[in-house]
Amino acid sequence: MAATKDKETPEVAETAKATPPPPPPKPTPTAEIKANLLLIERAVSTLEPRFTQRVLRTLTSLRKKLTAQVLNQAVNEAYVRDSPAKKALLAYIPTSAEMDIDPPSKTSTTSPNSTSSEPLPESDVYLRLLIILHLIDLDAHPKATELAHETVDKIHALNRRSLDSIAAKVYFYLGRLYEIADKVGEIRPLLLAAQRTASLRRDDDCQATLINLLLSNYLSANLYSQADKLVSKTTFPTSAGNTQLARYLYYLGRIRAVQLSYTEAHTHLQQAIRRASPARTAPGFWQTVHKLFIIVELLMGDIPERGLFRQPVLKKALVPYLQIVRAVRTGDLSQFQSALSVHAEQFTRDKTYTLILRLRHNVIKTGVRALSIAYARISLRDICVKLHLDSEEDAEYIVGKAIRDDVIDARVDHAKGWMVSARRGEGVDGVYATAEPRENFQKRIGFCLDLHNQSVKAMRYPLNAHRKELASVEAAREREKELAKEIVEGDLEDDDDDTGGPMADF
Amino acid sequence: MPADLRTLYSQLKKEFSSPRCDLKLCGTLLSKLKLGLIEAGLLLPQENPNPDDLAVTREILEIGAFWSIRAKDVPSFDRYFSQLQTFYVDFNDVLPPSPRQYPLQGLNLIRLLTQNRIADFHTTLEALPEEALHDNAFIKHPVNLERWLMEGSYSKVWGAREEAPAEEYKFFVDSLMGTIRNEIASCGEAAYESLPVHDAAALLFFQSQNDLITFATQRGWQVDLVSQTIVFTRKGEEKAEIPTKEMIAASLGYAKELEQIV
Repeated sequence: MAATKDKETPEVAETAKATPPPPPPKPTPTAEIKANLLLIERAVSTLEPRFTQRVLRTLTSLRKKLTAQVLNQAVNEAYVRDSPAKKALLAYIPTSAEMDIDPPSKTSTTSPNSTSSEPLPESDVYLRLLIILHLIDLDAHPKATELAHETVDKIHALNRRSLDSIAAKVYFYLGRLYEIADKVGEIRPLLLAAQRTASLRRDDDCQATLINLLLSNYLSANLYSQADKLVSKTTFPTSAGNTQLARYLYYLGRIRAVQLSYTEAHTHLQQAIRRASPARTAPGFWQTVHKLFIIVELLMGDIPERGLFRQPVLKKALVPYLQIVRAVRTGDLSQFQSALSVHAEQFTRDKTYTLILRLRHNVIKTGVRALSIAYARISLRDICVKLHLDSEEDAEYIVGKAIRDDVIDARVDHAKGWMVSARRGEGVDGVYATAEPRENFQKRIGFCLDLHNQSVKAMRYPLNAHRKELASVEAAREREKELAKEIVEGDLEDDDDDTGGPMADF
Repeated sequence: MPADLRTLYSQLKKEFSSPRCDLKLCGTLLSKLKLGLIEAGLLLPQENPNPDDLAVTREILEIGAFWSIRAKDVPSFDRYFSQLQTFYVDFNDVLPPSPRQYPLQGLNLIRLLTQNRIADFHTTLEALPEEALHDNAFIKHPVNLERWLMEGSYSKVWGAREEAPAEEYKFFVDSLMGTIRNEIASCGEAAYESLPVHDAAALLFFQSQNDLITFATQRGWQVDLVSQTIVFTRKGEEKAEIPTKEMIAASLGYAKELEQIV
């Protein structure tokens, strides 16, 4: 069950796009579809993609209300009476008692543009999308896949920019259907071809969706090198929506984590978390990203904040991870091993198992560091016992490596078989004698300044808002002029007075 | 598959499996076979080829990969292995599993390890099925080696060199040992002030003192033969220089930005 829940993640993230639905009283689903079709038509006629966006935003709420009857009615209204496209579509809608039309054979293919009063391709594809969604909800996956394929072919033949955002959705659900059917390998060529077409047509919506689909496709088959190549050969469209970007960043973080570039992975995941929609609307994505984030943070040698594990959405999902974090924090190798074996299945499912295995030496490092802080001098034998290492010989090498990697500041006395810790962080030799505080300061100031500049750039100035101000400025200027005039006049009068005096004397 | 290819193939198979196989002869046979495979369109299979032919092609490439190791030609191994990838990944469903797949994948992992390509090592590892990591001796060996190298349990790596699951693995042992010695040496430089010659030899797994002394001079250690100790030259504490230019640039940057804000 949990596995399916995880697979559901992208979809959940997808739904997150929904901003609060418009407040008007709830219309019937049929009316809603009708209104949406009108909006799509308006979008096409005015070339304004935002109307289509608005339609797609209601997709999730509408999806829950779909029934065979509603769809039937919508299709009947949208198409002319005897259009073959209509018959083909109706065939996909599951038969219900109210249906008065005999479902024709499924093999009949659609021939678009047969009559002049066909609905717009955009409306057609939108209706198809609704039917696909309904079929997915009914678990009629083969039928949904068939329809999705047909729709994709249609989209491909049309090449209309006004279709892009709806097309992206269709691709998404096609990919999702293959994911449900566990046949991700088969769809890859189609997705790759579609991605190529989308990038040639500069179709940002489809490109973003398709890159994400391909990445998830590769990653589900553990083909990290292919995924990495895909990332290096494509540029993710900057205009893509936040949800798609969040997913892309998550996949990127995952690839980098496997490649051991933890710092990079950390940045990507952090961005993904910031970009993702709130935990309540997309709990699955939120949890998955945090799981990976915690492991990457541990691998970097940091300990995640305790507060993270108390968040209501994450609390339950992160229990196994909390145990791992505890083990790493205390440097207890046996606790680590037991947590690992108890939750092995969960970790395998989350695809974090191999990453967690890499943590083993982090646990040892933390252990050695704790010992070096606590003891001024400790024998290798004791280190071996305390860290549950296999032999004293190993202990010596491990301590040696820790010293070289700057984990601890110590010396090994080989003849006497002990480790002598150097006192660190005291007096002038502390961290404040190094360039580190300066670098950190610089980094933080840089971040703040960047934030400020970005926010200035992001500010919106309402049109004509400055008119008002202009008017008041004008008035002020007027007043100033008057004042200046008065002063000048006053001066003149004064002058008159001054000069007038002697003149009068004459 | 043409008949002459088949004869060449059986010839190669016979020669390769014989106890005293002629590496040179195998090499010429392999290059002939490769040409033949390209002409038959099997080296980079397209459309729907015959599964039997594919299996034979796979076997030829596998022999080629093993031959490269025996001939100590690592780049050639790399080429054969990447050609095999197609057969292991894309034709997974069509072909019966090959008994040589895991040994070769294990060898590839060790190769990545000796070349210190840890990122590639992990990427490759992720692509392997879960069970293989736990149960397969050929895969487990490199996985364990990597873990020990990361922790610093060098003696375990040293101990495991004889436990190689296949003859070809030993080819990489020497270069692996070289890697380990350098690792230990750099750790030693940091961890010890001085070491008795005898102990240093034990730590670095040297059998004879002479080997140790050549190694020590290479790394620039001072060997005191009278007292039989090695003194590690400590890198002089880096002089704490004030990075004036950077600081000036940063301050000017702040001033500029602040000016914009105010």
